[in-house]
Amino acid sequence: MVLGEYGITLDDARRDYRRFVNLRRLIKFIALLLFCIFAVWTVWYMNIPLERLSGMFGRIGTMVFNRMMPPDFDYALTENVFHSILETIEMSFLGTVYGVLLAVPVAWFGAWNVTPSRSICYPLGRAILVLSRAIPPIIWAMILVVILGFGPMAGTITLVLLTLSFAGKLMSEQVEAIDMGPVEAIRATGAGEIKIFVYAVLPQVKAAWIGIIIYNWDSTFRASTILGFVGAGGLGLYIRSTTQLLDYERTMGIILVVIVLVIASEILSHFARRRIR
Amino acid sequence: MSEIEAADASGIDGAGLIGDANPLRPRNTILKRYCLIAGFATVVLVLTAHVFAFQTDWARTGGLGQMLKTAAWFLPNLGYFPSILLALFETFLIALFGTLIGMVIAIPVAVLAARNVTPAGLASYWAGRVTIVLSRSVHELIFALIFVSALGLGPLPGMLALAVRSVGFLAKTTAEAIENIDIGPVEAIEATGARRMAVLLFAVLPQVFPIFVGNVIFQFDINIRRAAILGMVGGGGIGLIFAEQIMSLAYDRAGTVVLGVVAMVLLGEYISIRIRSWLL
Amino acid sequence: MALLEIVGLKKTYPTGETALRGIDLAVDGAEVIAVLGLSGSGKSTLLRCINRLVEPSEGLVVLDGVRVSELDRHGLQRARRHMGMIFQEYNLVDRLTVLENVLSGCLGVASTWRAVTRAFRKDDIERAMELCSRVGILDQIRKRADQLSGGQRQRVGIARALMQQPKILLVDEPTSSLDPKIGAGVMELMCAVADEHHVPMLVSVHDLDVATGYSKRIVGLREGRIVFDAETREVDRSVLHSIYTDQDAA
Repeated sequence: MVLGEYGITLDDARRDYRRFVNLRRLIKFIALLLFCIFAVWTVWYMNIPLERLSGMFGRIGTMVFNRMMPPDFDYALTENVFHSILETIEMSFLGTVYGVLLAVPVAWFGAWNVTPSRSICYPLGRAILVLSRAIPPIIWAMILVVILGFGPMAGTITLVLLTLSFAGKLMSEQVEAIDMGPVEAIRATGAGEIKIFVYAVLPQVKAAWIGIIIYNWDSTFRASTILGFVGAGGLGLYIRSTTQLLDYERTMGIILVVIVLVIASEILSHFARRRIR
Repeated sequence: MSEIEAADASGIDGAGLIGDANPLRPRNTILKRYCLIAGFATVVLVLTAHVFAFQTDWARTGGLGQMLKTAAWFLPNLGYFPSILLALFETFLIALFGTLIGMVIAIPVAVLAARNVTPAGLASYWAGRVTIVLSRSVHELIFALIFVSALGLGPLPGMLALAVRSVGFLAKTTAEAIENIDIGPVEAIEATGARRMAVLLFAVLPQVFPIFVGNVIFQFDINIRRAAILGMVGGGGIGLIFAEQIMSLAYDRAGTVVLGVVAMVLLGEYISIRIRSWLL
Repeated sequence: MALLEIVGLKKTYPTGETALRGIDLAVDGAEVIAVLGLSGSGKSTLLRCINRLVEPSEGLVVLDGVRVSELDRHGLQRARRHMGMIFQEYNLVDRLTVLENVLSGCLGVASTWRAVTRAFRKDDIERAMELCSRVGILDQIRKRADQLSGGQRQRVGIARALMQQPKILLVDEPTSSLDPKIGAGVMELMCAVADEHHVPMLVSVHDLDVATGYSKRIVGLREGRIVFDAETREVDRSVLHSIYTDQDAA
């Protein structure tokens, strides 16, 4: 059995390796150097005050432990604030429901393999998915507040758009990944596009979609807690007002309520996901 | 078995009225199902009415026509576009460095939060997991507020807010990847008598590297959108300009900003896709 | 005093399964010892208890005077440097190159900084290359480990174990995942290098012919106990067969 003689001597290997390793090291070094230069330039360009970093933890500590503690939970339970908690939940619920209702056709349209019309529906579906995703939810909220006025309606519609962007995209990807066999079969019977969708596509993606919807609820709920910051309903309003009035204990109270709610919602979705399985 | 599975098991919901004698779908299941849907729909409609009719100030909003008119105000004023380019670039940089800083912090947090490699047992595991949960429950605006009050206005608090926010997702997915690695190479490196750190670096992290990088790129994509709004609370970037334009009722300029943000986001997505295919 | 002494080694897993029921074994010179047994006989557990990848429930393991089974974490790390292990599934780090995998053999002595930067010492790199040449993969050293065939990967495993300059080689079913022909080449290579480096080798196998073909001494394991321990030439084939078929029939 021949071992070790593949036409390469040890010396060759050494030289080859050294060159290779040195080249790799050089490239890594240059990349690192370029990056450092870039970072330094950024600091200069944006006037980043690095010296403020020292003592940052001290200042945050002071702020959190002196000014934000003890958290004012009583404030969080006052009538107005309590109402806004309910409003937050209401907004996320409605936003998810309507968002999912709209996401179903949009996901269908935006799926290349089964879209009813590749020239009209597909671009439309894709455009809705991309556009709703490209604009941050808070900006949507601000625009909608201008159009619709303050209140949870703007927030709900923002969440509908958020659901479209998040769940809609994932749902569309699921549709694009299905087995085309049943689709061809149903199509061959002469059924129209809607029937094809209901009988061939939907059964295949139903399970995954439910998981996506639950996953989406998490992120929708999180967003809903902050939309009030710009007047779109929910708890965010009180975060803003208490911060502006420098009532930091109250702010902390609300932040903690938000955290508790988010964790609670995550636990619920965790159980929902378990049950689905 | 959940309602959904029961419905699935019994076949396509084609025929369906209660009267049909379908041996596969007993009456109670159908009845129960319809009641559930009806109840659900009622709740939805009631809440919708609540939001729609009672919580909205229709006097100010005006009818549908007025709404469309208001929406039209947002049509972008292209002449304004050049003045926001610099701010868009700043926003991009904030997202970039925020992601990078978050990436660096996420690695040790991920190691802490991975059951199989966490150094100090349950204590460090929970420390890691709690950090992840906190990072994901608090919105970046709140983090930005905190950092702004500690560091003053500017892009730095914005970067740090994004960094802290990114740690949650990055550490969570990386910890999950670590928990799923092949233990063979880990055993092998342990068997050479290497220290814990060497085992980590040689056997654990190389296995999760592709997933980690993919997630960093994904998170960068998301952070571009987040960076766009941080300016509103003083975190640098284009957010401040957007808020200003809205408050001064210059809605067309605000629309231009939105256009700029969309362009930046799409550019960021394009770059992400290129980097992803180049690296992986 | 023997190089490796095992006294009263027992292992019961938390599931209740008892893998080893009291093993006494001594390894002296640079011999190749086959640990022969069917699956479930405990041979893998035995090897892993020696370097404590599996913690023994009871018993003593002494390597070159050091009571391995009683060492603390740091002591164990130091002791493991002298025990080279070769795995059935090769256990290479897929993403790293062949050379880096071989070099990982000296991670026990390398400083943390070297591990981070992967900047190994020159003489270590030199030695690694010589080992690669010896096991016949010198032309592959820059390739990623997952681009190699099974036989090539096992040879990398051999080089990695030898990189540690171990006092003993623990080999866990090295050829079970390989083609018989390739496996034979690997076994020959292992025995040859073990001999060249004067290192005793404990090899667990389930194939009788492999055991008799390559080892000087055979230790038979059955249900966690040693059922015989003798030089290969003394072992009667029919005795071995009967022990096998006994278990088969059971």
